[in-house]
Amino acid sequence: MREQYISIEGMQELALLMVIDCADAQESEFARLVRQAKAGDAAAFEAILCQSERRVLLTAMRLLNGNVEDAKDAAQQVFLRLHRSLSRLDTNRNFASWLYRITVNVCRDMLRGRARRPVVPLEDAGHCATAGRAEDAMLRDEQMRLIYAALGTLSEHERAAIVLRDLEGISTAEVARILESSEATVRSQISYARVKIRKFVDRQQKRHL
Amino acid sequence: MNCEKFELPIALYVEGDLTSVEACAVELHLAACESCREFAVEMRASQAALKMLRNEYVDASAFEQVRVNVLAARSRSWRSVAWPRYAIAAGIVIALLSGWLMRRQADHTVVGVQSVHPILPAPPSQPVIQPRQPKVLAARVRRRPRRQAPRFKSEPLVVKMITDDPQVVIYWLVDQNGG
Repeated sequence: MREQYISIEGMQELALLMVIDCADAQESEFARLVRQAKAGDAAAFEAILCQSERRVLLTAMRLLNGNVEDAKDAAQQVFLRLHRSLSRLDTNRNFASWLYRITVNVCRDMLRGRARRPVVPLEDAGHCATAGRAEDAMLRDEQMRLIYAALGTLSEHERAAIVLRDLEGISTAEVARILESSEATVRSQISYARVKIRKFVDRQQKRHL
Repeated sequence: MNCEKFELPIALYVEGDLTSVEACAVELHLAACESCREFAVEMRASQAALKMLRNEYVDASAFEQVRVNVLAARSRSWRSVAWPRYAIAAGIVIALLSGWLMRRQADHTVVGVQSVHPILPAPPSQPVIQPRQPKVLAARVRRRPRRQAPRFKSEPLVVKMITDDPQVVIYWLVDQNGG
C-alpha cells in the first residue's frame, strides 16, 4: 500500500480550505442570527458574538502588530458598532465581509490615533504564544516577533491586504470588496507586501548570522 | 539579466495569484534565470513564516473579556437609549389618562342634570338653582346650518270641469309659475 505524505503547509492550506467551506455554510446561519438579533433577540446577538469573536480578535491582532490589549479594544468596538448597525444591516449581504471591513476600519482608526506613540510589537508574549514544547515555543515566538516586525514595515493598505489574503485566506476579489478597492490595486499591494516581508526577513537573518 | 521586474509577479506566482497566461510567462523566466529561482524559493520560505501567524494561540480569557465587555456596554447603551423613550411614553399615557378623566367628569355632570333634576324637583319655597352647563358640552354642540329647501318648479295645476253631459269632461292644465 502506497503511503502519501502531506507537508505542514499543505495541511494548513487544507485546513484553511475547510474553514472557508465551513464559513460559506455558516453564512446562512449568520443571516438567520442577524435577522433574529435585528428583531431584538439578545441570545441571537450573543451567538453572533461567540461565533465571530475569534475571527475579529485575531484579525485585529494581526493588524495591530500583535498587541493583544489593543486587539481586545478593537474587537469590542467592532461588536458595539455591529450592535448599533444591526437595524441597517442587510442580511442578504455577506456578513463575514462586512465584519472584516469594520475590523479593518476600526484598527486603521486606532493605528492613526496612536501614530505619535511608539509601537511595541508582541512584547506581551504571555498572552499570545504558540502551543508546544517550551523550546519550540520560544523559537516560534521569536519567529512571530520577526514576522510582526515585518508586518510593521508595511503601509496600512498593504498590511490589511496581506492579512486578509494570506492569513485569513480570503480571495483577492473578496479582499478588494472588503477594502473597497479595485482587484488590480489589491494585487499590487499584496505583491509589494510579500516582497517587503521577504526582504525584511532576509535582512534580519543576515544580521543574526 | 534585469530581473527586478519579475519580483512582483513571482510574489504573486508563489501563492497562485496569477492568471494561467501570467503564470506561464513567470515559469518561462524561472526556467532560464537561476537568481529568480532562488528568489522564488526564498519567497516561499518567507510566506511559510508569515503563515505561522495562523497558528497563533490566544488565551481564552481574552475572548471572554471581550464578550463580557461588549455585553455590558450593550446593556448600558440600551438603558441610556431606552429611558427617554420610557419617559415620553409615560408622559403620553398620563396626558391621555388625565384627558379621559376630565371628559368622564364632564359627562357625569351632564348626566346628573338631565336625570336627577326631573325626579327630585326643588321645593317651591327655595329658589331653583339652575345647574351650570359645562363649557365642554357647549363647545361640543355644533349648530348645523339649516338646509334651505330646494326651489323646484311647481307642477301644473289640473282643473277638471264637469259639464251637463256626463260624457264630456274638460281638463285644464294651469302653469302656476305664471304660464
